[in-house]
Amino acid sequence: MAKHAPAGKSPATWGVVTVLLVAAILGTLWVPIYARSAPKLGPFPFFYWYQLIWVPVSAFLCWICYLLLRSKPRNRGIVPR
Amino acid sequence: MNHFNTVTFVIVIGSFLIVTYIGFASARWRPAEDPMHLNEWGLGGRGFGSFVSWFLLGGDIYTAYTFIAVPALVYATGAAGFYALSYTIMVFPIVFVFAPRLWSVARARGYVSPGDFVRGRHGSQGLGLAVAATGILATMPYIALQLVGIESVLTVMGIGSSSGSAWARDLPLIIAFAVMAAYTYLAGLRAPALIAFVKDILIYLTVIVAIVYIPGRIGGWGHIFGAASAHLKTVNPATGKPYGSLVVMPAGEWAFASLALGSALALFVYPHAVTGVLAAKRRDVIRRNAALLPAYSLVLGLIALFGYMARAVPAVNAGVKANGGNPQLSVPLLFTRMFPSWFAGVGDSAIIIGALVPAAVMSIAAANLFTRTVYKELFSPNATPAQETRVARLASLVMKVGALGFAVVLNKTFSINLQLLGGIWILQTFPAVVIGLYTRWFHRIALIIGWAVGMAYGTVEAYRTAGGGQAHFGASTTPVFGHVTYIAVVALILNVAVSAVLTLVFRRIGLQDGYDETRPADYTADPVTAPPTRAPESAGRAPGRPPVTVRAHRAP
Repeated sequence: MAKHAPAGKSPATWGVVTVLLVAAILGTLWVPIYARSAPKLGPFPFFYWYQLIWVPVSAFLCWICYLLLRSKPRNRGIVPR
Repeated sequence: MNHFNTVTFVIVIGSFLIVTYIGFASARWRPAEDPMHLNEWGLGGRGFGSFVSWFLLGGDIYTAYTFIAVPALVYATGAAGFYALSYTIMVFPIVFVFAPRLWSVARARGYVSPGDFVRGRHGSQGLGLAVAATGILATMPYIALQLVGIESVLTVMGIGSSSGSAWARDLPLIIAFAVMAAYTYLAGLRAPALIAFVKDILIYLTVIVAIVYIPGRIGGWGHIFGAASAHLKTVNPATGKPYGSLVVMPAGEWAFASLALGSALALFVYPHAVTGVLAAKRRDVIRRNAALLPAYSLVLGLIALFGYMARAVPAVNAGVKANGGNPQLSVPLLFTRMFPSWFAGVGDSAIIIGALVPAAVMSIAAANLFTRTVYKELFSPNATPAQETRVARLASLVMKVGALGFAVVLNKTFSINLQLLGGIWILQTFPAVVIGLYTRWFHRIALIIGWAVGMAYGTVEAYRTAGGGQAHFGASTTPVFGHVTYIAVVALILNVAVSAVLTLVFRRIGLQDGYDETRPADYTADPVTAPPTRAPESAGRAPGRPPVTVRAHRAP
């Protein structure tokens, strides 16, 4: 069965991925950051618009991590990213 | 009271018939050479690309929980219900980390469920059985939640609810469920995968229209938040405290965070989410989807706000009151009162189909678990793939009956507790499944005992909590060291602590550990060739790109 070797990414790449994913999780896990009503965005208290904006932010962070870790077949000669 | 509206009814019946047709026709979608194989019935041929996986996973994990239970909680208690948004934000970074490893090892070893994996990894039939039993048990209340969702739509539509007999009242629900059971039986995972397309189109359509149209009709967002705030500040005569708050209070932060984290850790050890992951064609499909699936989280956030919209419409509040104060009805009532009747029919269809898809995947997932880990291991080790598939089909029917039982017996005022109760149980398999993906440090027997302790503590604590007018299983949080915390998280900590201590003890006394049938390379494997029964699928990949074969890296 054809397999990739364990992804040969540098420790720096893994470090960046770890930091990004931890940030994505802490952004909403740490409730005191956003459990407040000011500043409002129009009629929306901070609590609501912060969470709604964090959805695309965490998606974006995951996407960067996906690009960083994408497994490229070695013999294709395509530069990652 | 609830008025029967012919136009709404016709639209709902029409979409139900369309979905039923798709469900039965899906048996012929991407036909397999041998449909009587668990890879086919139970995992749709393991060949879904990014596109289909996005719909399937989205259709699978955003359930009636999203459309009924969360807005009901927001309607009644305000900000506390938004833990669900925080949870669906956190879940994808977590999935990103471990789901690709689970996919790889399952593909390399032919596992179809978390139970298979645990048995193979830890070399322990007992642990595999524990994981399978937990998965089946935890899935039942989750399916029951889907039933409650359908029921609330039917109630608002005025179907069956006026009848005195319980049988006549639940008959439409049972019919809808039985039809779904029939096409799931026949077509397996292909049915919900195809129906998920219809579901998601209806959901996105309904949500976008509601967000654009309703606030303008009821005086704008300023008025909506004002009405919600006014309600939440009033004192609940039952508890002597305000109903809730517009922003989480410091005292509620711990519960909010632990509910979100516990739910996020639990989601992808639920069998139905694992099934969605294992059905993917390539390893990268999962990571890509971790970045694309949050589109549904945005929808969840908007639907949660429907709870506040409903609060700002006096006719909805009156309707909820007239039906015994059931907040589950707030969203269906909002549709009925705000939309023209034909579009209310679209919204109601979205909720009903949005409950049927996950219920189908959940019953398939539980059936996979039962077949591989219980039936094959204990009763018939030499079962052929065809026998396995037959057993799985029957098991999927039994699951649905069990779920009906949960729906009848448990408290429905806050159906969200059905999901949270399942979460308490399923999270106890986290050490064996997810930690097991990384390390075999834990001793297999220590893991079993840790699991048993977590299960026992979680069940007893959940039993002891009162809420929603019910003495037992009324809530999912409990005070621990002065902080109100999600029981699942506390039980998981106990579970891991017990497993760790006993592992040290067992190693000390030299108790034999199990045989690990997996190899380190399995966890990063990414087999390029699709399973032989599958036609090549090009979604998400450049057209015409030849299949790439990578040399196996073997030790010389």
